[in-house]
Amino acid sequence: MEAPPVTVMPVTGGTINMMEYLLQGSVLDQSLESLLHRLRGLCDNMEPESFADHELVYLLKGQQGNPFLLRARRSLLHPTAPWHLRYLGQPEVGDKSRHALVRNCVDVAASHSLPEFLNEMGFRMDHEFVAKGQVFRKGMMKVVVSKLSRVLVPGNTENMEPLSLSYLVELSVLAPAGQDTVSEDMRSFAEQLKPLVHLEKIDPKRLM
Amino acid sequence: MGVTCVCQVPVAEGKSVQQTVDMLHKKLEQLGAVKQGNFWVDCETYHATGNATGQPSKLLYVMHNSETPLSCMALFEGGPGLSADANFDVLMVKLKSHFQNAKGHKVESRGARYRYCDFLVKIGTVAMSSSARGISVEVVMRSVEYCACVIPGDCWNLMKEFMQSFLGSNTPELPTVFTNKPEGLCVPVDCMDTMSQYLELFSKVRKQQVMPGSGVR
Repeated sequence: MEAPPVTVMPVTGGTINMMEYLLQGSVLDQSLESLLHRLRGLCDNMEPESFADHELVYLLKGQQGNPFLLRARRSLLHPTAPWHLRYLGQPEVGDKSRHALVRNCVDVAASHSLPEFLNEMGFRMDHEFVAKGQVFRKGMMKVVVSKLSRVLVPGNTENMEPLSLSYLVELSVLAPAGQDTVSEDMRSFAEQLKPLVHLEKIDPKRLM
Repeated sequence: MGVTCVCQVPVAEGKSVQQTVDMLHKKLEQLGAVKQGNFWVDCETYHATGNATGQPSKLLYVMHNSETPLSCMALFEGGPGLSADANFDVLMVKLKSHFQNAKGHKVESRGARYRYCDFLVKIGTVAMSSSARGISVEVVMRSVEYCACVIPGDCWNLMKEFMQSFLGSNTPELPTVFTNKPEGLCVPVDCMDTMSQYLELFSKVRKQQVMPGSGVR
Protein backbone atom coordinates (compact mmCIF):
# COMPACT_ATOMS: atom_id res chain seq x y z
CA MET A 1 0.00 0.00 0.00
CA GLU A 2 1.75 3.18 -1.17
CA ALA A 3 0.94 6.30 0.83
CA PRO A 4 1.06 9.54 -1.17
CA PRO A 5 4.01 11.78 -0.43
CA VAL A 6 2.81 14.61 1.75
CA THR A 7 4.87 17.22 -0.07
CA VAL A 8 2.21 17.31 -2.80
CA MET A 9 -0.48 19.16 -0.93
CA PRO A 10 -3.84 19.66 -2.55
CA VAL A 11 -5.41 23.08 -2.53
CA THR A 12 -7.95 23.36 0.24
CA GLY A 13 -10.83 25.75 -0.18
CA GLY A 14 -12.43 25.20 3.20
CA THR A 15 -12.81 28.82 4.15
CA ILE A 16 -14.76 30.02 1.10
CA ASN A 17 -17.98 31.59 2.31
CA MET A 18 -20.69 29.70 0.41
CA MET A 19 -24.23 31.00 0.10
CA GLU A 20 -27.35 29.10 -0.75
CA TYR A 21 -29.79 30.81 -3.11
CA LEU A 22 -33.20 29.23 -2.70
CA LEU A 23 -36.71 29.30 -4.18
CA GLN A 24 -39.43 27.01 -2.89
CA GLY A 25 -42.86 25.83 -3.93
CA SER A 26 -45.07 22.76 -3.94
CA VAL A 27 -47.25 20.69 -6.24
CA LEU A 28 -50.17 18.44 -5.46
CA ASP A 29 -49.54 14.70 -5.88
CA GLN A 30 -51.77 14.54 -8.95
CA SER A 31 -49.71 17.23 -10.74
CA LEU A 32 -46.37 15.57 -10.05
CA GLU A 33 -46.08 13.75 -13.38
CA SER A 34 -46.59 16.89 -15.47
CA LEU A 35 -43.96 18.75 -13.43
CA LEU A 36 -41.44 15.89 -13.77
CA HIS A 37 -42.15 15.79 -17.51
CA ARG A 38 -41.51 19.53 -17.79
CA LEU A 39 -38.31 19.29 -15.73
CA ARG A 40 -37.02 16.45 -17.92
CA GLY A 41 -37.46 18.73 -20.89
CA LEU A 42 -35.91 21.85 -19.32
CA CYS A 43 -33.01 20.40 -17.34
CA ASP A 44 -29.68 18.96 -18.40
CA ASN A 45 -29.98 15.88 -20.52
CA MET A 46 -29.42 13.22 -17.91
CA GLU A 47 -31.55 10.81 -15.94
CA PRO A 48 -32.79 12.50 -12.75
CA GLU A 49 -31.21 11.01 -9.66
CA SER A 50 -33.58 9.35 -7.18
CA PHE A 51 -32.92 9.69 -3.49
CA ALA A 52 -34.38 8.69 -0.13
CA ASP A 53 -32.82 10.57 2.77
CA HIS A 54 -33.43 10.50 6.51
CA GLU A 55 -32.90 13.95 8.00
CA LEU A 56 -32.43 14.65 11.70
CA VAL A 57 -32.59 18.23 12.90
CA TYR A 58 -30.45 18.96 15.97
CA LEU A 59 -30.58 21.94 18.32
CA LEU A 60 -27.91 23.22 20.67
CA LYS A 61 -29.41 25.45 23.30
CA GLY A 62 -27.11 27.98 24.89
CA GLN A 63 -27.68 30.07 27.97
CA GLN A 64 -28.74 32.99 25.80
CA GLY A 65 -29.77 33.73 22.26
CA ASN A 66 -31.31 31.50 19.65
CA PRO A 67 -30.55 27.78 19.62
CA PHE A 68 -27.96 26.65 17.09
CA LEU A 69 -29.47 24.39 14.46
CA LEU A 70 -27.74 21.67 12.43
CA ARG A 71 -29.21 19.23 9.92
CA ALA A 72 -27.77 15.73 9.66
CA ARG A 73 -28.76 13.64 6.65
CA ARG A 74 -28.07 10.06 5.69
CA SER A 75 -28.98 8.24 2.54
CA LEU A 76 -31.35 5.30 2.93
CA LEU A 77 -30.46 4.06 -0.57
CA HIS A 78 -26.70 4.15 0.07
CA PRO A 79 -26.31 3.27 3.75
CA THR A 80 -22.49 3.16 3.59
CA ALA A 81 -22.19 6.68 2.15
CA PRO A 82 -20.97 9.41 4.54
CA TRP A 83 -23.47 11.45 6.54
CA HIS A 84 -24.14 14.99 5.40
CA LEU A 85 -24.10 17.71 8.04
CA ARG A 86 -25.46 21.11 7.09
CA TYR A 87 -25.45 24.50 8.76
CA LEU A 88 -27.80 27.14 7.35
CA GLY A 89 -27.46 30.74 8.47
CA GLN A 90 -30.17 33.34 8.91
CA PRO A 91 -31.61 34.60 5.61
CA GLU A 92 -29.98 37.81 4.45
CA VAL A 93 -32.24 40.79 4.78
CA GLY A 94 -31.97 44.08 3.02
CA ASP A 95 -31.94 43.75 -0.72
CA LYS A 96 -35.65 43.36 -1.53
CA SER A 97 -34.93 43.40 -5.27
CA ARG A 98 -33.11 40.07 -4.97
CA HIS A 99 -35.30 37.29 -6.33
CA ALA A 100 -34.14 34.43 -4.12
CA LEU A 101 -33.67 33.76 -0.44
CA VAL A 102 -29.95 33.97 0.35
CA ARG A 103 -28.35 32.36 3.38
CA ASN A 104 -24.96 31.19 4.48
CA CYS A 105 -24.42 27.47 4.08
CA VAL A 106 -21.73 25.06 5.36
CA ASP A 107 -21.82 21.47 4.10
CA VAL A 108 -19.72 18.87 5.86
CA ALA A 109 -19.33 15.20 4.96
CA ALA A 110 -18.96 13.21 8.16
CA SER A 111 -18.47 9.67 9.41
CA HIS A 112 -21.28 7.47 10.74
CA SER A 113 -20.55 8.39 14.35
CA LEU A 114 -22.19 11.79 13.69
CA PRO A 115 -25.39 11.38 15.81
CA GLU A 116 -23.41 10.09 18.79
CA PHE A 117 -20.86 12.90 18.35
CA LEU A 118 -23.51 15.64 18.13
CA ASN A 119 -25.08 14.30 21.33
CA GLU A 120 -21.73 14.51 23.07
CA MET A 121 -21.39 18.12 21.86
CA GLY A 122 -24.65 18.89 23.62
CA PHE A 123 -26.96 18.88 20.59
CA ARG A 124 -30.35 17.26 21.01
CA MET A 125 -32.49 15.89 18.21
CA ASP A 126 -35.51 18.13 17.70
CA HIS A 127 -37.34 16.41 14.86
CA GLU A 128 -36.74 14.02 12.01
CA PHE A 129 -38.29 13.25 8.63
CA VAL A 130 -37.71 11.27 5.47
CA ALA A 131 -37.46 12.96 2.07
CA LYS A 132 -37.89 10.84 -1.04
CA GLY A 133 -37.71 12.23 -4.52
CA GLN A 134 -35.65 13.18 -7.51
CA VAL A 135 -32.88 15.64 -8.25
CA PHE A 136 -32.60 17.48 -11.57
CA ARG A 137 -29.77 19.77 -12.64
CA LYS A 138 -29.47 22.66 -14.99
CA GLY A 139 -25.96 24.05 -15.00
CA MET A 140 -25.23 25.05 -11.45
CA MET A 141 -28.94 25.04 -10.53
CA LYS A 142 -30.39 22.11 -8.64
CA VAL A 143 -34.07 21.23 -8.62
CA VAL A 144 -35.23 18.83 -5.91
CA VAL A 145 -38.73 17.40 -6.02
CA SER A 146 -39.43 15.45 -2.85
CA LYS A 147 -42.12 13.94 -0.69
CA LEU A 148 -41.68 14.57 3.00
CA SER A 149 -42.81 11.93 5.48
CA ARG A 150 -43.15 12.06 9.21
CA VAL A 151 -41.29 9.33 11.15
CA LEU A 152 -43.84 7.80 13.53
CA VAL A 153 -41.47 5.84 15.76
CA PRO A 154 -38.26 7.78 16.50
CA GLY A 155 -35.37 6.45 14.45
CA ASN A 156 -37.50 3.89 12.58
CA THR A 157 -37.63 4.90 8.93
CA GLU A 158 -39.82 1.88 8.04
CA ASN A 159 -42.73 3.35 9.92
CA MET A 160 -43.80 6.72 8.52
CA GLU A 161 -46.66 8.66 7.01
CA PRO A 162 -46.70 11.42 4.37
CA LEU A 163 -46.68 14.93 5.80
CA SER A 164 -49.08 16.26 3.16
CA LEU A 165 -50.75 15.53 -0.15
CA SER A 166 -48.13 17.46 -2.07
CA TYR A 167 -44.50 17.42 -3.12
CA LEU A 168 -41.94 20.03 -2.07
CA VAL A 169 -40.12 21.66 -4.97
CA GLU A 170 -36.85 23.48 -4.30
CA LEU A 171 -34.66 25.34 -6.76
CA SER A 172 -31.25 26.10 -5.28
CA VAL A 173 -27.74 27.18 -6.17
CA LEU A 174 -24.63 27.11 -4.02
CA ALA A 175 -22.29 29.96 -4.88
CA PRO A 176 -19.64 32.11 -3.19
CA ALA A 177 -21.02 35.25 -1.52
CA GLY A 178 -21.73 38.21 -3.75
CA GLN A 179 -22.74 36.38 -6.95
CA ASP A 180 -26.17 37.92 -7.12
CA THR A 181 -26.65 37.35 -10.86
CA VAL A 182 -27.42 33.77 -9.83
CA SER A 183 -30.81 34.82 -8.50
CA GLU A 184 -31.67 36.35 -11.92
CA ASP A 185 -31.04 32.99 -13.63
CA MET A 186 -33.14 31.26 -10.99
CA ARG A 187 -36.01 33.66 -11.51
CA SER A 188 -36.07 33.13 -15.26
CA PHE A 189 -35.95 29.34 -14.78
CA ALA A 190 -38.78 29.53 -12.23
CA GLU A 191 -40.81 31.53 -14.79
CA GLN A 192 -40.55 28.61 -17.18
CA LEU A 193 -42.07 26.25 -14.64
CA LYS A 194 -45.20 28.36 -14.26
CA PRO A 195 -48.08 27.57 -14.01
CA LEU A 196 -47.18 24.01 -12.96
CA VAL A 197 -45.42 25.30 -9.87
CA HIS A 198 -44.91 28.77 -8.42
CA LEU A 199 -41.43 28.96 -6.93
CA GLU A 200 -41.12 31.78 -4.44
CA LYS A 201 -38.72 33.38 -2.03
CA ILE A 202 -40.05 32.06 1.27
CA ASP A 203 -38.66 33.31 4.55
CA PRO A 204 -38.59 30.33 6.94
CA LYS A 205 -38.98 32.69 9.92
CA ARG A 206 -42.44 33.63 8.65
CA LEU A 207 -43.55 30.00 8.98
CA MET A 208 -42.44 29.59 12.60
CA MET B 1 -3.79 3.39 6.09
CA GLY B 2 -2.31 0.76 8.34
CA VAL B 3 -1.64 0.02 11.99
CA THR B 4 0.14 2.96 13.62
CA CYS B 5 2.02 3.29 16.88
CA VAL B 6 2.78 6.79 18.18
CA CYS B 7 4.98 7.50 21.18
CA GLN B 8 7.45 9.83 22.79
CA VAL B 9 11.16 9.12 22.54
CA PRO B 10 13.25 10.18 25.54
CA VAL B 11 15.94 12.72 24.74
CA ALA B 12 19.36 11.02 24.80
CA GLU B 13 21.49 11.90 27.80
CA GLY B 14 23.55 15.00 27.27
CA LYS B 15 21.87 15.72 23.93
CA SER B 16 19.40 18.36 22.86
CA VAL B 17 16.03 17.65 21.28
CA GLN B 18 17.39 18.47 17.82
CA GLN B 19 20.44 16.26 18.31
CA THR B 20 18.20 13.35 19.33
CA VAL B 21 16.06 13.87 16.23
CA ASP B 22 19.16 13.98 14.01
CA MET B 23 20.44 10.79 15.63
CA LEU B 24 17.18 8.97 14.84
CA HIS B 25 17.25 10.26 11.25
CA LYS B 26 20.77 8.92 10.87
CA LYS B 27 19.82 5.51 12.28
CA LEU B 28 16.87 5.25 9.88
CA GLU B 29 19.00 6.24 6.90
CA GLN B 30 21.57 3.62 7.89
CA LEU B 31 18.78 1.04 7.91
CA GLY B 32 17.94 1.98 4.35
CA ALA B 33 14.85 4.13 4.95
CA VAL B 34 14.24 6.85 2.37
CA LYS B 35 13.10 10.35 3.30
CA GLN B 36 9.76 11.20 1.67
CA GLY B 37 8.93 14.77 2.56
CA ASN B 38 7.64 16.09 5.84
CA PHE B 39 4.60 15.58 8.02
CA TRP B 40 2.53 17.61 10.45
CA VAL B 41 -0.27 16.88 12.90
CA ASP B 42 -2.01 19.64 14.80
CA CYS B 43 -4.61 19.83 17.51
CA GLU B 44 -6.87 22.70 18.51
CA THR B 45 -8.76 22.63 21.80
CA TYR B 46 -12.29 23.94 22.21
CA HIS B 47 -14.32 24.25 25.35
CA ALA B 48 -18.05 24.66 25.65
CA THR B 49 -18.99 28.14 26.79
CA GLY B 50 -21.80 26.88 28.97
CA ASN B 51 -24.66 24.52 28.45
CA ALA B 52 -28.26 24.67 29.50
CA THR B 53 -28.15 21.31 31.25
CA GLY B 54 -25.52 22.54 33.70
CA GLN B 55 -23.37 19.41 33.33
CA PRO B 56 -19.59 19.84 33.31
CA SER B 57 -18.52 19.90 29.68
CA LYS B 58 -15.69 17.93 28.18
CA LEU B 59 -12.98 19.43 26.01
CA LEU B 60 -13.38 19.02 22.26
CA TYR B 61 -10.24 18.47 20.21
CA VAL B 62 -10.10 19.17 16.48
CA MET B 63 -7.10 17.61 14.74
CA HIS B 64 -5.53 17.56 11.28
CA ASN B 65 -3.04 15.14 9.83
CA SER B 66 -0.91 15.70 6.72
CA GLU B 67 -1.57 12.06 5.67
CA THR B 68 -5.23 13.02 5.17
CA PRO B 69 -4.96 16.72 4.31
CA LEU B 70 -8.61 17.20 3.31
CA SER B 71 -9.98 15.65 6.49
CA CYS B 72 -10.52 16.91 9.95
CA MET B 73 -10.82 14.69 13.02
CA ALA B 74 -12.80 15.79 16.05
CA LEU B 75 -12.53 13.91 19.33
CA PHE B 76 -13.69 14.02 22.89
CA GLU B 77 -11.20 12.59 25.35
CA GLY B 78 -12.33 9.04 25.97
CA GLY B 79 -15.50 9.73 24.01
CA PRO B 80 -16.75 9.44 20.46
CA GLY B 81 -14.72 10.69 17.52
CA LEU B 82 -15.80 12.06 14.19
CA SER B 83 -13.94 12.22 10.91
CA ALA B 84 -15.24 14.89 8.59
CA ASP B 85 -14.07 16.98 5.66
CA ALA B 86 -12.18 20.25 6.08
CA ASN B 87 -15.44 22.24 6.24
CA PHE B 88 -15.78 21.09 9.83
CA ASP B 89 -13.28 23.86 10.70
CA VAL B 90 -15.65 26.41 9.13
CA LEU B 91 -18.48 24.96 11.19
CA MET B 92 -16.44 25.39 14.38
CA VAL B 93 -16.10 29.10 13.52
CA LYS B 94 -19.91 29.30 13.25
CA LEU B 95 -20.17 27.55 16.61
CA LYS B 96 -17.89 30.03 18.36
CA SER B 97 -20.62 31.28 20.66
CA HIS B 98 -20.99 27.72 21.99
CA PHE B 99 -17.44 26.37 21.64
CA GLN B 100 -14.49 28.65 22.26
CA ASN B 101 -11.06 27.97 20.84
CA ALA B 102 -8.48 27.82 23.62
CA LYS B 103 -5.82 29.60 21.56
CA GLY B 104 -2.90 28.97 23.92
CA HIS B 105 -3.57 25.24 23.77
CA LYS B 106 -2.61 24.61 20.18
CA VAL B 107 -0.21 21.69 19.93
CA GLU B 108 1.52 20.56 16.80
CA SER B 109 3.99 18.01 15.71
CA ARG B 110 6.24 18.47 12.68
CA GLY B 111 9.12 16.53 11.26
CA ALA B 112 10.46 14.24 8.58
CA ARG B 113 8.67 11.31 7.02
CA TYR B 114 10.62 8.19 6.09
CA ARG B 115 9.62 5.11 4.16
CA TYR B 116 11.18 1.72 4.70
CA CYS B 117 9.45 -0.92 2.55
CA ASP B 118 5.90 -1.14 3.98
CA PHE B 119 6.75 0.96 7.02
CA LEU B 120 6.17 4.67 7.31
CA VAL B 121 8.24 6.29 10.06
CA LYS B 122 7.78 9.86 11.19
CA ILE B 123 10.26 11.51 13.50
CA GLY B 124 9.43 14.94 14.73
CA THR B 125 9.04 17.29 17.61
CA VAL B 126 5.89 18.16 19.47
CA ALA B 127 5.63 21.83 20.25
CA MET B 128 3.15 23.64 22.37
CA SER B 129 3.29 27.31 23.02
CA SER B 130 1.25 29.12 25.53
CA SER B 131 1.02 32.76 24.64
CA ALA B 132 -0.20 33.56 28.13
CA ARG B 133 2.95 32.24 29.78
CA GLY B 134 5.41 32.45 26.93
CA ILE B 135 6.57 28.88 27.50
CA SER B 136 7.40 26.54 24.69
CA VAL B 137 7.77 22.82 25.24
CA GLU B 138 9.34 20.49 22.76
CA VAL B 139 9.64 16.73 22.92
CA VAL B 140 10.72 14.12 20.40
CA MET B 141 8.01 11.89 19.00
CA ARG B 142 7.93 9.18 16.46
CA SER B 143 5.18 7.34 14.70
CA VAL B 144 5.57 4.00 12.94
CA GLU B 145 2.91 2.80 10.56
CA TYR B 146 2.81 -0.61 8.94
CA CYS B 147 0.84 0.18 5.80
CA ALA B 148 0.28 -3.41 4.70
CA CYS B 149 -2.07 -4.47 7.50
CA VAL B 150 -5.04 -3.07 9.41
CA ILE B 151 -5.30 -5.74 12.14
CA PRO B 152 -3.04 -4.90 15.11
CA GLY B 153 -3.04 -8.51 16.35
CA ASP B 154 -1.58 -9.69 13.03
CA CYS B 155 1.32 -7.28 12.72
CA TRP B 156 2.28 -6.04 16.16
CA ASN B 157 5.21 -8.47 16.59
CA LEU B 158 6.61 -7.46 13.22
CA MET B 159 6.24 -3.75 14.10
CA LYS B 160 7.90 -4.31 17.46
CA GLU B 161 10.85 -6.05 15.87
CA PHE B 162 11.23 -3.24 13.35
CA MET B 163 11.07 -0.56 16.05
CA GLN B 164 13.68 -2.38 18.13
CA SER B 165 16.11 -2.04 15.23
CA PHE B 166 16.34 1.71 15.68
CA LEU B 167 14.81 2.46 19.09
CA GLY B 168 16.48 -0.35 21.07
CA SER B 169 15.27 -0.41 24.65
CA ASN B 170 12.89 2.50 24.01
CA THR B 171 10.52 0.31 21.98
CA PRO B 172 6.99 0.94 23.28
CA GLU B 173 4.37 -1.57 24.33
CA LEU B 174 1.21 -2.18 22.31
CA PRO B 175 -0.78 1.10 22.39
CA THR B 176 -3.68 1.01 24.84
CA VAL B 177 -6.05 2.30 22.15
CA PHE B 178 -5.89 -1.22 20.65
CA THR B 179 -5.84 -3.24 23.87
CA ASN B 180 -8.79 -1.31 25.35
CA LYS B 181 -11.11 -2.25 22.49
CA PRO B 182 -13.86 -4.61 23.61
CA GLU B 183 -13.45 -6.58 20.36
CA GLY B 184 -9.74 -7.12 21.03
CA LEU B 185 -6.88 -6.91 18.57
CA CYS B 186 -8.67 -8.59 15.68
CA VAL B 187 -10.74 -5.61 14.47
CA PRO B 188 -9.43 -3.32 11.74
CA VAL B 189 -7.97 0.00 12.86
CA ASP B 190 -9.28 3.36 11.64
CA CYS B 191 -7.87 6.87 11.50
CA MET B 192 -9.37 7.62 14.93
CA ASP B 193 -7.04 5.07 16.58
CA THR B 194 -4.04 6.98 15.23
CA MET B 195 -5.43 10.37 16.21
CA SER B 196 -6.28 9.19 19.76
CA GLN B 197 -2.62 8.19 20.16
CA TYR B 198 -1.49 11.64 19.01
CA LEU B 199 -4.01 13.20 21.39
CA GLU B 200 -2.72 11.10 24.27
CA LEU B 201 0.84 12.19 23.49
CA PHE B 202 -0.20 15.85 23.20
CA SER B 203 -1.98 15.69 26.57
CA LYS B 204 1.20 14.29 28.07
CA VAL B 205 3.20 17.18 26.60
CA ARG B 206 0.70 19.63 28.02
CA LYS B 207 1.18 18.14 31.48
CA GLN B 208 4.95 18.36 31.08
CA GLN B 209 4.54 22.04 30.38
CA VAL B 210 3.12 22.42 33.85
CA MET B 211 5.83 20.32 35.48
CA PRO B 212 9.03 20.62 33.41
CA GLY B 213 11.04 17.45 33.88
CA SER B 214 13.61 15.28 32.22
CA GLY B 215 13.68 15.10 28.46
CA VAL B 216 11.91 18.38 28.05
CA ARG B 217 13.42 21.56 26.83
